Amino acid sequence: MGYESVKDKLARGETVLLDGGIGTEILGRGVYWRCHGIEQHPEVVRQVHVDYRAAGADVLKTDTFQLNRRAYLNLFHGLEHMRRIGPQGLEHKAGRLIQQAVKLAREASNGAGPAGSGGPAVAGVISPLEHCFRPDLTPPLDQCRAEYTELVSEMQSAGVDFILLESMNRVAEAAVAAEAARAAGLPVWVSFVVRENGQVLSREPLVEAVRALEPLGVEVIAVNCAPLEDITLAVAELRKHRAGPIGAWAHIGRYDPPSWKFGFYPRFTGSDRVSPARYLEAARQWKKMGAQVIGGCCGTTPAHIQALRAGL
Amino acid sequence: MNQRYEKLKQRLERGEIIILDGGIGSEMLRRGVTWEGHKVESEPDAIRSIHEDYIRAGADVISTNTFQLARRSYMNHFADAEHMRHIGAPDLDTRAPILIHEGGKRALEARDLVGRPDVLVAGAMTTLDWCFRPDMAPSLEDMRTEYAETIQAFKDAGSDLMLFETFNSSKEARTALEAARDVGIPAWVGFVCDWKGRLLNSETVHQMHEGLVGVEPDVLLFNCAPVPDIAEALRAFTKEYQRGQRPAFGGYAHVGRFDPPDWMFTDEYPPDRYLKACQEWASVGAQVLGGCCGTTPMHIAALKKGLPQLVTV
Repeated sequence: MGYESVKDKLARGETVLLDGGIGTEILGRGVYWRCHGIEQHPEVVRQVHVDYRAAGADVLKTDTFQLNRRAYLNLFHGLEHMRRIGPQGLEHKAGRLIQQAVKLAREASNGAGPAGSGGPAVAGVISPLEHCFRPDLTPPLDQCRAEYTELVSEMQSAGVDFILLESMNRVAEAAVAAEAARAAGLPVWVSFVVRENGQVLSREPLVEAVRALEPLGVEVIAVNCAPLEDITLAVAELRKHRAGPIGAWAHIGRYDPPSWKFGFYPRFTGSDRVSPARYLEAARQWKKMGAQVIGGCCGTTPAHIQALRAGL
Repeated sequence: MNQRYEKLKQRLERGEIIILDGGIGSEMLRRGVTWEGHKVESEPDAIRSIHEDYIRAGADVISTNTFQLARRSYMNHFADAEHMRHIGAPDLDTRAPILIHEGGKRALEARDLVGRPDVLVAGAMTTLDWCFRPDMAPSLEDMRTEYAETIQAFKDAGSDLMLFETFNSSKEARTALEAARDVGIPAWVGFVCDWKGRLLNSETVHQMHEGLVGVEPDVLLFNCAPVPDIAEALRAFTKEYQRGQRPAFGGYAHVGRFDPPDWMFTDEYPPDRYLKACQEWASVGAQVLGGCCGTTPMHIAALKKGLPQLVTV
């Protein structure tokens, strides 16, 4: 199906269903979190995508959240130090994993049929270059531009249908990233992490995000990775300022990172307290408020997406 | 200062070689205990038995499995305290002191079980932010508060001394040493070094020396770098500090490769070859020797067996 049919749905005013949590779901299936599960357990990663497809998702997100060169480099004093004490080739690992991650999502999308035979679109997920919850760490914008250009090109050569900038935490970084995707000729959606008060995590109002991104031709602007009620508030705020398609996906449960600074670790606890039925209730509200792209963030499962497919 | 530490200090003054333990986190991985946290609470037997094995191998000082445990380690994953309380697991604010306490208990239990009351338990603590990133160090004010709070937790957990390891600047080491002095617990410092024998923030050993004036620890170490890099730092150390005017010193290197989130084990330095490196270091006066990531109880047993009783210089 690729991006065309998603685009048609958006144009017809229909709801586009996104999948749910990827990292939390892989971890939930007992995979030891290393290399996003891609190297050791590609079959589990693929199965998560397959299950989301079966649940009715129109879009599959790649298992690439916070997967970039910087994520490894950050753990060392610098490139020289990484080469000195790290394993050979670590500087190229993120790029390699991205290729494999896109392939796994693509295989799930194709299912048993030949390529392009009507499966869900594959969204190449790119998140902030630094940790998604740390807008204070945003690199200088020139540096951002170079790294996003590289990431987008890796995603493009791996064959994604479009770019999903997910859990963005600062307007300027999101704009630079969106420009990189547009420059490569890929459609791009941008989603922001929001605070309790409906602002972007950087404390910038959503209206500024809309103003910065609309001129760039961003097709969907969304909010994600916050609790249900925060997302509801943010959807209302976003609708006020944007006439075009908007989206929403909340996380459920509580983010429970380890002490060890080994990058992104998608553990959420207590997610089972938000049942698919309860999630659907919130999603109905988002739809009523005008959200057209709806899915799930960390902690949500194929059962949640199935409930959305049946109930929205 | 407790009696146990007093005795160790006398041993140091007599020129005796003191043996540390080896890798803890990497040893967990080698034993098939995956690393999603320190597991001092969730897998007490596995952690305790690592300590026991190091004591049996001959370590005079064992270190707690608490590397990188401080309140900031959890806070760092969030935008700020408000954000952490809003979306984070409810106990993240108090998890570090609880795990420090549990980590201390596992080491004390091992000491009791092996029946070696003379073995010291060192509270292992690294820099408040990431050990390889001196550029991330918090402000002096934050450091003071956080070290005071964290060191107190280690003291309450029964540590005989603090082992500040994998430190990356003399500024942070000085702040930590001052806080330990205020809390009232002896402290040793280990610096991570680069291949030129400098600290990771590019300070030379000379600059480090100047940076520690007035707060010199009883033991100065270099750790968490490959064997040749530790050797380089020790060379710089013996050149900088005149004999007779220097604190006891030593080193513990890592063996293998840091492959986040895991450790890659290599056979480059099996116990006998690692012993040879330590023998060389001892021959220039290094008195406190052990192993960092990737070393095992076998490495420590080799040191116990092969190192002289007294430092030769």
